[in-house]
Amino acid sequence: MEGIEGHAGRFTVTLREHPRFVDINKCIACGVCAEKCPRKVEDAFNEGLNKRKAAYVQYPQAVPLKYAIDADHCIYFEKGKCRACEKFCPAGAIDFNQNERIFTIEVGSVVLALGARHLDPSAIEEYGYSTFPNVITGMQMERILSATGPYQGRLVRPSDGQPPKKIAWIQCVGSRSTGATAHEYCSGVCCMYAIKEAVIAKEHAGRDLDAAIFFMDMRTHGKEFERYYRRAESELGVRFIRSRVHSVESSAPGSDSLKVRYADDTGAEAEEIFDLVVLSNGLETSNEVRELADRLGVAVDENGFVKTACLSPLETSRKGIFVCGSVANPADIPQAVMEASAASSAAARLLAKARGSQVREKEYPAEKPIDPAEIRVGVFVCHCGINISSVVDVTEVRDYAKTLPGVVYSTDNLFSCSQDTQQTIRDAVTEHRLNRVVVAACTPRTHEPLFQETIREAGLNPYLLEFANIRDQDAWVHQGCPEEATVKAKDLVRMAVSKVTFSEPVERLQITMHKSALVVGGGVAGMTAALGLAEQGFPVHLIERNGNLGGNARNIRATWKGEDVRSYVEELSKRVIAHPDINVLLNARIESVSGFVGNFLSRVRKGGRSEEISHGVAIISSGGGFYKPEEYLYGQHERVTCWHELEDLFEKEPERLQRAEAVVLIQCVGSRDEDRPYCSRLCCTASLQQAVTLKTRKPDLEVYVLYRDLRSYGLREELYRKARELGVIFFRYTPENKPAVSAYEGTRGKLNVTVQDHVLNIPISLDVDYVNLFSAILPQTDNDLPHLFKVPTNTDGFFLEAHAKLRPVDFSTEGVFVCGLAHYPKPIEESIAQAEAASSRAAGLLARGTIEVEPVVSVIDQERCVGCGFCEASCPFGAVKLVAVAGKGFRAENIPALCKGCGICAAGCPQKAIDIYHFRDNQILASVQAGGETTREAKASSRPSPAARVTFVSGYLMRRDCMYHVGHTWIERMKGGRLRIGVDDFAGKILGPVDRLNLPPRGEVLRQDRKGWSFLRASRRAPFLSPVTGKVFDINLDAVSHPENVLKDPYGDGWLLVVEPKGSEAELKHLLYGEAGFRWMEEENRKLLELLGPEYERLAASGGGAVEDVFGIRPEIGWETLVKTFLRTEV
Amino acid sequence: MNDEFQPRIIAFLCNWCAYAGADLAGVSRIQYPPTIRVVRILCSGRVDPLYVVKGLQSGFDGVLVSG
Amino acid sequence: MAVVRYLMELSGIGADRLCLRWVSAAEGARFAAYVQEYSEQILRLGPFLPDDFALPLAAMDKALGSPRLRWLMGMEIKITEKGNIYGEKLDEQAYRQLLNDAAREEYEKALVLAALRTRPGTVRDIALETGLPVYTVSCRLNELERSREAELCGYRATSPEFRHVGL
Repeated sequence: MEGIEGHAGRFTVTLREHPRFVDINKCIACGVCAEKCPRKVEDAFNEGLNKRKAAYVQYPQAVPLKYAIDADHCIYFEKGKCRACEKFCPAGAIDFNQNERIFTIEVGSVVLALGARHLDPSAIEEYGYSTFPNVITGMQMERILSATGPYQGRLVRPSDGQPPKKIAWIQCVGSRSTGATAHEYCSGVCCMYAIKEAVIAKEHAGRDLDAAIFFMDMRTHGKEFERYYRRAESELGVRFIRSRVHSVESSAPGSDSLKVRYADDTGAEAEEIFDLVVLSNGLETSNEVRELADRLGVAVDENGFVKTACLSPLETSRKGIFVCGSVANPADIPQAVMEASAASSAAARLLAKARGSQVREKEYPAEKPIDPAEIRVGVFVCHCGINISSVVDVTEVRDYAKTLPGVVYSTDNLFSCSQDTQQTIRDAVTEHRLNRVVVAACTPRTHEPLFQETIREAGLNPYLLEFANIRDQDAWVHQGCPEEATVKAKDLVRMAVSKVTFSEPVERLQITMHKSALVVGGGVAGMTAALGLAEQGFPVHLIERNGNLGGNARNIRATWKGEDVRSYVEELSKRVIAHPDINVLLNARIESVSGFVGNFLSRVRKGGRSEEISHGVAIISSGGGFYKPEEYLYGQHERVTCWHELEDLFEKEPERLQRAEAVVLIQCVGSRDEDRPYCSRLCCTASLQQAVTLKTRKPDLEVYVLYRDLRSYGLREELYRKARELGVIFFRYTPENKPAVSAYEGTRGKLNVTVQDHVLNIPISLDVDYVNLFSAILPQTDNDLPHLFKVPTNTDGFFLEAHAKLRPVDFSTEGVFVCGLAHYPKPIEESIAQAEAASSRAAGLLARGTIEVEPVVSVIDQERCVGCGFCEASCPFGAVKLVAVAGKGFRAENIPALCKGCGICAAGCPQKAIDIYHFRDNQILASVQAGGETTREAKASSRPSPAARVTFVSGYLMRRDCMYHVGHTWIERMKGGRLRIGVDDFAGKILGPVDRLNLPPRGEVLRQDRKGWSFLRASRRAPFLSPVTGKVFDINLDAVSHPENVLKDPYGDGWLLVVEPKGSEAELKHLLYGEAGFRWMEEENRKLLELLGPEYERLAASGGGAVEDVFGIRPEIGWETLVKTFLRTEV
Repeated sequence: MNDEFQPRIIAFLCNWCAYAGADLAGVSRIQYPPTIRVVRILCSGRVDPLYVVKGLQSGFDGVLVSG
Repeated sequence: MAVVRYLMELSGIGADRLCLRWVSAAEGARFAAYVQEYSEQILRLGPFLPDDFALPLAAMDKALGSPRLRWLMGMEIKITEKGNIYGEKLDEQAYRQLLNDAAREEYEKALVLAALRTRPGTVRDIALETGLPVYTVSCRLNELERSREAELCGYRATSPEFRHVGL
């Protein structure tokens, strides 16, 4: 931004755009330019911990994901030669002719979101940042811990790439310090980021990692921060060392480790050795921002932050220019994002009249009707330059697609996303009467909207498009195996075609917006939100349950910067009441709320009447209160007061202050304890403010502040300094050693306070006139708002936003917002900003006549639904409700405006009555089935056939998958662990045709290696050994009546018994399996041949088959011998 | 068959988490075996137990659900 | 999904055939590592042959689609956290037990039915086909008779024979 002219509502801004030397309309973010670029440059995004190329993308998730040429380091710009990127870019996107562009734009208001930079700790010599490689900054640690960081998320230290075992964080580096290289203010974000880094480091490296944080005051004043701090300490074992670090040195000559020397909280010197030291360096304003502020005529304070007032926290000194984030005040992410919405509300108020004046509506052709019986799928396979086609055989995929059922057209494109291909696709839809389209290309996450738009322009419903991700999830990740990648691409295309076959047009969902808002609570937050909306032209109903507006702010005298709050509140109330678009309802309460975004209907009771209010959005600003202490004699002694009561007392009876000699202010009364494990955020600043005021009004008054951690975050640190300068005395106490308050005489006289001094470690006794308590800020809980609006609260009772960082004033319920103390304790300037933020978010919806909601929502089959209500109970968004249906009881009904299409209801519906548009069960199942089709076929065809399951060993049939017992029986494992048993081919062949099988009855118990059953031939008996121990479960009655089966089909119809094994698993180890069985059979055959004599040996040598009916041919060998030799039994 | 056995895994990936993670693996060119076939869903809560059965019936050797 | 794993174990398919992993949008490397790891695990397990598990798969499909199981699965939070209308709650473990028992019963029932779908048979036939103990088959058949899904269709010698209703 070069300059600005004009005035609020009509500015002309001059901008300078640097060339990136890459045409972002052509760049496909394939990364070839970076791969080929020969110049390596320190990677600033990774804080210089690794190198990137001069052709680069700042980080892998950059938006837009487009490359750029770093002209400061590019070889071509240095030497006039190279242009490797240009040569290799498949998209022709490199353009070295791009020039710097200076141009102007017309705007009504300006928002500065310039941020802050991290202070460079090099100048603070005692920490050795520029000397030791293993002393790093907080941001470098962030990058090291990141999966996209210099070490891919492995926790290692820079000097030697080894994982550290001990890490120290040093807080307040360059913050809360004096001196030329540091700032006096608190940077506000470092305590929390250090704890977060320590916790994540422990998650990466395991619990054994030693993490120590050296700090002065632990400032975890944000929502849920105190809990995180406690968990880090008690559950994860992060060590918190209250100290001042003196220096960081090398631990020993030649060592990369570091010695941290510090003074502990008793002032004693100590030191400890660490492998890695992280400096929690603070935030500061850069010179560029100061210069820009100067050019814009915007005032900055002595620290370089843009000046704002507490009561107008978004406005700069120049009208029409607004701020958000760390440019005005060190801010963490939730604060900065919230302020961003707030600034946009402030900016939009100036523009209210011009709203929509430059908007053009896009028009689409009417959707063609789809005949569900006629499936005509078109497949477009993308080369993506060479990104896909260098790995996947695109033409093969294209040709394969043509063979799939339903596909009538298939083609390939060099760049499917290019303008001309879009036209090709539209033409193909018309020419081939396509009614469904599959694009096989990059990823739906970036390009699905583009192709949906394309087919919509061709008259097809956008949901008739399906995407096959063959780049990001195929070509790019299987570069080494092109054939497999091509197979995968074909599978993915087949899955997409299969799914799209079941696709149906999904109607766009439009909700008419009722252009008014309901604001619940008439404190400063509620009034600010109401005015924010009304001044943009939206009618507001403001509900206040008390008889007047103003809420808690009416008790506050001044902001921490000294502005008068009472007159502000009075002025604000007047404006609200006078505004024609604000309907103020005092002494009113909400009775019921129904409906959803755009169409809420609330019933409000006021006096004896109740009225119905229709509204499109709602803002909850129901405020909070404070805890009425039960400790420290509060309520029992008139000189023990709470919050503003002391000021009120001194105002009413100024002589009391004149007579007083000493006052004690006690903090964290009921905060940060077991009952309320959160920090009330504003008490530290408020007590400092009171201390400073008292000291200023009466310098000889002794003022003591008893605190646990002094949390004067951000620029409020100035008050802390001022208080110390004025002689306020601070004692830190611990929850184990709380101060004690006692009365000297009755309930009106002086008081005694004892507190343990943490430096001297002795109790200090103070005689004082007044004790003022700063007690916990509480949420307003005597209302039914969470239930009425179906919005959640956290365990402390404060309303829970949809996302702490991304959506800090939204609820996950669309159209409902939160601000002020109802969200979390906060000072007035933050309440005002948050109210502006809520009104901005609400105005974003109200500004539209209709809102389009994502139509991928659940759909309920009311015929199948039995009204069980499971879906209603399980929906995280309150998007399903039960409605009474005459004669049927209840049936579930979906509220599309609330539904996010997650499908949890569908997955759990006992009746399977719920489905999701565009992700219907039949679509997903078809896709799954298609995905497995080829493997399933391959498995079926390669399934071992009965013939393949058997083999001949020495001429005898053997089953490969059976176990054998040396008594010539086979054993097959069955389902459920039962064993099927039979005799083998060999036994059948030596015994010859048998005429009877003597099998044991069911239930009989057989023992391994004992006689189990026998065969009879004529009257000769051949007993068999049971191969296992077990109970006979079943016998083959067919075989008993047809004994010839045993010979004919020994492994099939000739099976004998099923046994339930009772023996040990070890028994089965005695059996022969696989090769061992084959070798045993060969051995048995050799024994048989010996018995048969020389002529049979020749037979065997000639490869002839086995001898059938050995006993029949050579009875002289003897039945007994055969049985004894081979069946190992006695006749 | 085991010599050339190429596992086939059906993967149900949540659009907002694992599917995006899989894309990022691509952008970062992190190589992994070509074993998975991805079905994109809007939330891993959408995965009906029946999808798992269907995956195995359809010929896959394993089912990966990632949210 | 715990129930699915339980049934996969019970049916002999093995819970290893299902893998649940959490990956965020920023964890490309982690995703790749999980795929690598799981592919190797499947490689060790060997191919899954669906035809060998046709009955158990059909039975799982039916059991997991049964209103009884889906009810129980859906009511986890209600049962363990909120309690029924009498305020009775089950602890996590008792709930798991309840769910697994129900899953086992539904699975066995479906398995018996799947066996009868191939051909009618006696209790013993079904036990052989499914691998279930005889007593279990009798119990499930009894339930299937009551729900009119299976019926007596004759006798083989003295053993009663059953068939799938409507086939």
